[in-house]
Amino acid sequence: MTASPHLTDDERFPLIPESSRGLLARLREHEAAPRYNMACGDRLTGEGLRRVRAFEESLVRPVWNEGEVPAWVREFAATALLQVPIYRKRGGRADAFEALPTSTRADIAREPWSFVPDDQPLDDLIVYYTAGASGTPMNVLAHPEAAAKRLPLFRAALRERGVSLDGGLDRVSIAFVCSQRTTLTYASLSSVLGGAGHVKVNLNPGEWRHPDDRARFLDDCAPEIYTGDPLSFADLAALPQTTRPRALISSALALLPALRARLEARFACPVIDLYSLCESGPIGVSHGEGFRVLPSDLFVEVLDGDGTSVAPGKRGEVTLTGGRNPFLPLLRYRTGDWARLEHRADGVYLLDLEGRAPVVFRAVDGRAINNIDVTTVLRPFALARFAVHQQGDSSLRVRLNSGDDIAPVAAALRSIFGTDQAIAFESFEPGEWKVVPYATP
Amino acid sequence: MSLARTEPGPPLEALTHRLAETPGDFLAAPRIGNAGTVDVAAVVSDLLHALGGERLHEVDAAPFVPGDPRRATLQLVAGWLLHDPWFRQAGRFAEPARSLLASGLDRLLGVIAPADFISDPDRREELVRLVLKALGLRPEGESETQAADRLTTLDSVERLRVMRDTRLAQERIRKVQEAMEKKAAEEAAAAYGRE
Repeated sequence: MTASPHLTDDERFPLIPESSRGLLARLREHEAAPRYNMACGDRLTGEGLRRVRAFEESLVRPVWNEGEVPAWVREFAATALLQVPIYRKRGGRADAFEALPTSTRADIAREPWSFVPDDQPLDDLIVYYTAGASGTPMNVLAHPEAAAKRLPLFRAALRERGVSLDGGLDRVSIAFVCSQRTTLTYASLSSVLGGAGHVKVNLNPGEWRHPDDRARFLDDCAPEIYTGDPLSFADLAALPQTTRPRALISSALALLPALRARLEARFACPVIDLYSLCESGPIGVSHGEGFRVLPSDLFVEVLDGDGTSVAPGKRGEVTLTGGRNPFLPLLRYRTGDWARLEHRADGVYLLDLEGRAPVVFRAVDGRAINNIDVTTVLRPFALARFAVHQQGDSSLRVRLNSGDDIAPVAAALRSIFGTDQAIAFESFEPGEWKVVPYATP
Repeated sequence: MSLARTEPGPPLEALTHRLAETPGDFLAAPRIGNAGTVDVAAVVSDLLHALGGERLHEVDAAPFVPGDPRRATLQLVAGWLLHDPWFRQAGRFAEPARSLLASGLDRLLGVIAPADFISDPDRREELVRLVLKALGLRPEGESETQAADRLTTLDSVERLRVMRDTRLAQERIRKVQEAMEKKAAEEAAAAYGRE
């Protein structure tokens, strides 16, 4: 393990005394533990924990009417226009919210400092690096409290499926599993979860002393829940561990229904799909065919290219205002993801959610095919990930995980592109993770 | 923002030319106590009379008894400008002129040296426009909006505020960048799920 030279465990866990860190030592020194490459804590102070609890208590399911901008959003905008350099510079008025300029990932990548309010102390700044599916890597400035506030949102999402996340000393609450060539891995504790353990591991066998250690270690951890993405969960499902989690929370990549069903059968627990971004934290939780907006401090619009709300029922770019990261207050932040917004009595829903702007393919007979239609025909397959790219000669280059069954996928694609559609199948390169699912020349 | 209504006034160029030709006497040391030569209150009193108003009474003279030589010089330079025949012939600008000279130019003190209102073309134009605005006038041939926009562009106080704000903003950016650099090398807080 490479411990960071910068912090001590006392600094990593201000609220968890050494006498209560026995589990941490066991997780770090476990004979089947992965070769952790980092040490990490929750860095939560007493005041911070109090604010996280208050946040949890304030959570209600957000509901607002179509065309309505809630009063708190206008107040948030007024403060942001006054105190946040990038918004102040771009101008606009809080009482004309719909006319305010939008911001994008490129803005954060270019000048993250411009999003920091004038009066925000810099002492508790933390920096996350995110690569992003569409290739704009960026530093996201954040705060330990903003990181910890994901846990109440996890709890809210789990509660919708009747699952609790209890935490408590000497128990592992969360195993965050990745399946990548390399990623940061560590054992940690959470004050929000009463000192419970939390591990982040990479299922790549190269990160372990022995490949069998993965199942042994995770069985010994017996976490309350697993978090990860469809790709890592597909790999997790293939391991022989026998302990059963209460739920899986999947995020970051589209979870196809067939894979979800397979995972639910394998782990005998609900699999919850969470729409979450580094910039905002959790946005929506899967509910029926869509995602219901989860946090009550996030206002969601879907916009066209001009920053105007699209007509009801139309798809547009998911755009966020609010959030709880004091270093990144979001004011009409375009996520790069597309969806339809639907207002229902029990909440606000994002339907047909897809990363990136719509992609229009051409069928053999020249018909236009929306990427949503392609997703629809791929839904029956338990694909952990896929990429369908149309080439200049109209042929399709389809990439799947090695071992995926190609023939039925080819038949499904030809059912919409035409029986004569040329398709070349390839496997993803090892280490590829987030991929652009759809592209045309 | 609503614009105060103004009437067409004299040509801008005539007044800026007049400022450029300000006699050296007006930059001579104002009389403060026993020192200096120019009696500011007497000059203002003559000016008000020339503009069709009453001379200064002793009780109204306080704003023109100098304590700050820069303020007195600015009053004298603006007084020279207001002595232009166009204003005198109109015979109705004594009261706004008195008000302007008494306190209307104070915001420029500490921002611009009085001599710059003679030597610097932009500052000449700024003072002319300020004086015209104070009299409810705008330069001949300009619309209300044109006159207001041009004055905003030339506004020295606003320019200094923007410069100060910009300097503060640059300082803040530098501090955040420094914190980023320091913290990026440091470990973050634990992440609980994929994003």
